[in-house]
Amino acid sequence: MELLKVSNLTKIYPKHKVAAIDNMDLSIDKGEIFGLVGESGCGKSTLAKSILRLTDVQRGSILYKGDDLLKAAARKMQGIRKEIQIIFQDPYLSLDPRVKIGSALEEVFLIHYNYPGPKRRKKAAELLDMVGLGKSYFNRLPSELSGGEKQRVGIARALATGPEFIICDEPVSSLDISIQAQILNLLMDLQEQKALTYLFISHDLGVVASICDRVAVMQSGRIVEIGLCEEVFRNPQHSYTKKLLDSISLT
Amino acid sequence: MFLRIEGLRVKYNDIEVVRGVDLEIGKGECIGLVGESGCGKTTVGLSITRLIPGHKGRISSGRILFEGKNLLVLSPEELRKYRGSRISYVFQEPLSSLNPVFTIHEQLKEVLPKDDDVEGSISEALKSVGLKELIDRKKVYPHELSGGMQQRAMIAMAIVSKPDLLILDEPTTALDVTVQKKILELVMELKKNLGLSILFISHDLRTVFELADGVGVMYAGRIVEQGPAKTLMSRPGHPYTRGLVNSIPSIEHRKERFNAIEGRTPLFSELPEGCKFYPRCKFRIKPCREKEPFLGKFSDGHYSRCIRSKELIAHGTIKGI
Repeated sequence: MELLKVSNLTKIYPKHKVAAIDNMDLSIDKGEIFGLVGESGCGKSTLAKSILRLTDVQRGSILYKGDDLLKAAARKMQGIRKEIQIIFQDPYLSLDPRVKIGSALEEVFLIHYNYPGPKRRKKAAELLDMVGLGKSYFNRLPSELSGGEKQRVGIARALATGPEFIICDEPVSSLDISIQAQILNLLMDLQEQKALTYLFISHDLGVVASICDRVAVMQSGRIVEIGLCEEVFRNPQHSYTKKLLDSISLT
Repeated sequence: MFLRIEGLRVKYNDIEVVRGVDLEIGKGECIGLVGESGCGKTTVGLSITRLIPGHKGRISSGRILFEGKNLLVLSPEELRKYRGSRISYVFQEPLSSLNPVFTIHEQLKEVLPKDDDVEGSISEALKSVGLKELIDRKKVYPHELSGGMQQRAMIAMAIVSKPDLLILDEPTTALDVTVQKKILELVMELKKNLGLSILFISHDLRTVFELADGVGVMYAGRIVEQGPAKTLMSRPGHPYTRGLVNSIPSIEHRKERFNAIEGRTPLFSELPEGCKFYPRCKFRIKPCREKEPFLGKFSDGHYSRCIRSKELIAHGTIKGI
């Protein structure tokens, strides 16, 4: 079943007069991990921002369960944002340094559900548990956490509203390799348990190859190749995909 | 031996972050130093050129012998004959190591002594890093170059003095993969053509294992395993190396869970007794908690700091353990 469908999407940054997204078509099925790869500046993150309406586009449509997100009114969009969440690349930048982890998670339940205090705290504690952090993290500040632990908090916060669709924008790029493996395990476990759909944006082809079902390769705002991960990585058709794959093995 | 580090110990604010490192680099050899952030690998690199920030860090003991001469006891004047001329350093972020208000040309010129054939050397260096077009364009500033070109310019600055040892500290981390590949190919070409010795510091295991002749794996300020890249990849003797190798994503193990290392790297102020990897180790046994093992030799050039290395090497890497 099609969960998200992007059609003829075009985003031009007026200052640079370059199309960050150039007439793009894409559809993501429910329950899949869809990988999006490409080098910096190819438009991967712009797509993520467009889906969440964090940036305006010039043309096209983004259908989520049949509703066009680009035409949704602000109130409707707030409801949809519960279903579509994002995990950012830099867990250091996405947490307020002065807010304790527990409060940061509780805030979601206040804004979206207006739950009373005790219920908020209970929910926040459940979330911490879900991402493998104990209750002892409740009263800690972001500065007391390692990079991997911060990213777990980022994941917990994305899960708070019980989303169906999560955009993972380079979620492991700033982590050390052993921590990267822990976070990828967690993301794969959660996806299976909760039947989540991921748009997994990454420049790391190895990571995408190991966890995604399908993959799209982006270059200068366009998708140049799309298909099942196995096929794209084992038998690339487009010259740019070949070049990318060639770059990760030097021998 | 061309470069030999013996018993290097470095302290930052009285906390020891390099806790006795021995490392050798032969002439024309590329040695990789890998490990996760905060393991002390950069500090080892900085110690060779004595660039540890003086207000907070100091080398507390050890020797660094460059062609037999101990760099750590040289006077500033003598050190200058080595640093920047015979030993060069390439840092991770090209843009933060290039001076934005001087042209690339001026910055290259600054490295060289006044009496040399300055222009000739600069042209040669630019040519060998693939920036031929900058030879005649003398007014180009760093911001006018792309990230890859900036890193090439940094490498040009490092080799313009014709050094014997090049220290590369995460030289490609900030770059796109296709650019990364070009830079690494360039480095290997320079190694071959100029007979450079290289210390390659990186957290990127895949790259280091492919490029380096020998690899040292660091954990909590010490080398826990050292040997030829192939051996470490297929028959690692230390549980940490094994965990790192198992964490490398690959298309061969699609959708499988990574056999990840549990927990996080310990803080230097809270290092455990005994083996420093003990709390995270899947192979730990009781004696591990009591005494930190020494770096034992297991085959020619293969060393590991674990009392169960022999068993682990015999097993090789099997997904699942």
